[in-house]
This record gives sequence, C-alpha cells and structure tokens, in this order.
Amino acid sequence: SRSKEESEKEEGFKLLGILDVQRIPCARNAILHGAGGSLTTGMLYFLATSRVRRSFDVGFAGFMLTTLGSWFYCRINNAKLRVQQRFIQEGIKNKIVYEGSVLDPINKPKAENPSGPS
Amino acid sequence: MAHPSQLGFQDAASPVMEELLHFHDHTLMIVFLISTLVLYIIMAMVTTKLTNKFILDSQEIEIIWTLLPALILILIALPSLRILYLMDEVNDPHLTVKALGHQWYWSYEYTDYNNFGFDSYMVPTQDLTPGQFRLLDVDHRMVIPTESPVRVLITADDVLHSWAVPSLGIKMDAVPGRLNQTAFIVSRPGIYYGQCSEICGANHSFMPIVVEAIPLKHFENWSTLMLENSSP
Repeated sequence: SRSKEESEKEEGFKLLGILDVQRIPCARNAILHGAGGSLTTGMLYFLATSRVRRSFDVGFAGFMLTTLGSWFYCRINNAKLRVQQRFIQEGIKNKIVYEGSVLDPINKPKAENPSGPS
Repeated sequence: MAHPSQLGFQDAASPVMEELLHFHDHTLMIVFLISTLVLYIIMAMVTTKLTNKFILDSQEIEIIWTLLPALILILIALPSLRILYLMDEVNDPHLTVKALGHQWYWSYEYTDYNNFGFDSYMVPTQDLTPGQFRLLDVDHRMVIPTESPVRVLITADDVLHSWAVPSLGIKMDAVPGRLNQTAFIVSRPGIYYGQCSEICGANHSFMPIVVEAIPLKHFENWSTLMLENSSP
C-alpha cells in the first residue's frame, strides 16, 4: 500500500497547485490546446509586428481564449456522453428485468395463437 | 473514506455527488484561469518601464472589467442553481430511515414495514479489530439497499448535530424539535463513512456515521434478521 501511495503521489500534478490536470476530465486537453494556441497567436503577432512585449500579451490572450473554448467544448460533449451512458445503463437494467414481458423495451412480438377451423 | 493527507473530494457514490464533482471541476478551471490572469497582470506591471501620471479614466477597460466578472458569475451560477434544485428533489423513495443524533452516538429507526431500530456507537480505539478504521468504524452500520431512492429524516435528541456522508454528497443538520429531510441513491455497494459535522460537546469527534449499501435481496435478509433480533 505504501508503494501504491507513493506512485499516486508521483502521478498527481497540479497546475498552480490547484488544477489536477491528470484526474479532471478535459483539463489536460484544454491546457495543451491553450498552450498551443498561445504559442501560435504570440508567434504570428510577433512575426507581423515585431513587438515583443505586446506579442506576449496577445499570446496570453490566446491562451485564455483557446483554453476556455476547448474546455467548454469538451465538457459539453462529456456531459452529453454521460447522459447517454445513463440511458444505456437504464436500458440494460430494464432489458434484463422486463425481458419477455409487456414492458420489454425491445417489444418482441409474441407468436399468435392458431385460429380455430373456419 | 478519505486517505491520509487527502485534499480533494472522495470518489462519488451517488449521482448527486457525481454532479457536484463535475461542477467543482468546472469552477476550478475558471478559478485557475482567473489566477493565471492575475499572475500575468502582476508580472506585466512589475516589469514594465512605462508610467503615465495623467490617466484619469478609461471607458474601454472599465467596461471590460465590469462585464467580464458578470459573465464569469453567470457561468458559475447557472450550473450551481441547477444542482441546487436537483439536490432538493425527492423522487418517491423506496425506504425511509430516521437518524437521531444523541450525545454522542447516532440511532437509526426503520419504521416503514416493521418497526426496528438500533444505536450506532463508535468502536473505541482499544477495541478495534484488524482492518477497522480508527475514529470511523461503528458497532452497527446504517444499512440501505443500492440503487433505491432512500429518504433520511434527521433530528436530534439533545443538542445540534449534523449527519454527513461526503462520498454521497450529503450533509444535513440534526436539530432538536425539527425534522430535516434528505434523499439519496447509492449507485454501488460499499461502505461509506462520515462524521458528525456540528459541534455537540466533548465527544463530537467520536460519533461517526457509517452507511453500508448492499443489494436489495441482501437488505431484505438483513432487515428480517434485525427484526428477529429486536423482537422479544
């Protein structure tokens, strides 16, 4: 258990001491996209204007916007996925419980009784 | 239960706690970005050589630093209110349990079908058996069925207590003369620990709460056994 605790401590990494990018869904992707966006916008602005200080400001603004955009996009998709997951779980449970009955979600048709002689 | 030196939340064992964890992640990302922005502004201000002694106002930046915080607050408030109302829903519970706070133990009453109840005292440190947790384990756990909506009615016999189980996302004050209600669904079988969360005297730290969630069939067996044990 000690080695497990030690490995957990080694794996945990928190940006600014608060954001656990490895455990929070979408956090790692958002930060990486932000870093990429920041580099891109900063470099492009510098190549266009040769203003160093302002390029850093533009790069930072790019970081904020890209991180936010990537974060919200990923979280919305994640939320939709979780809703689907819950529906599927309910469906599987209902299938097992109600299979063959009137409430069967698949609604298997029953074999018709043979009609009597006309 | 929490592990030593744990700072974050425990793993969620109920749908409400899952939602709370997701909301916390969302808010934490916003807080992280605000902190990064403030840090960057401080660095920029400390390292600049530019000064302007004659600036009086600036409409553009004042509009930005009025609208931006308002937008951030709306982004936090909307999911927060959604979860607040979600936590208030009580959807036709299958079972009602009464939790009574005393100095210094909890007692639980199952009065839905047959009347039985029991006290739940902390296991003293000197009586712990191997595998039990110090200051957390109790002699009789509150047993409930998994994946069934459960309503807990909480009150106290003497002074204020508070019934809290972090992994289920529940905390409700136990007030003498008042009946507070909370509801939850436990998603998976397991044992979930909590501690009294309102100062109530000398042994406030020594009246833990343990919820044991088991499949319905086992719960029925358990309640039959409890009834047999409690009947004269």
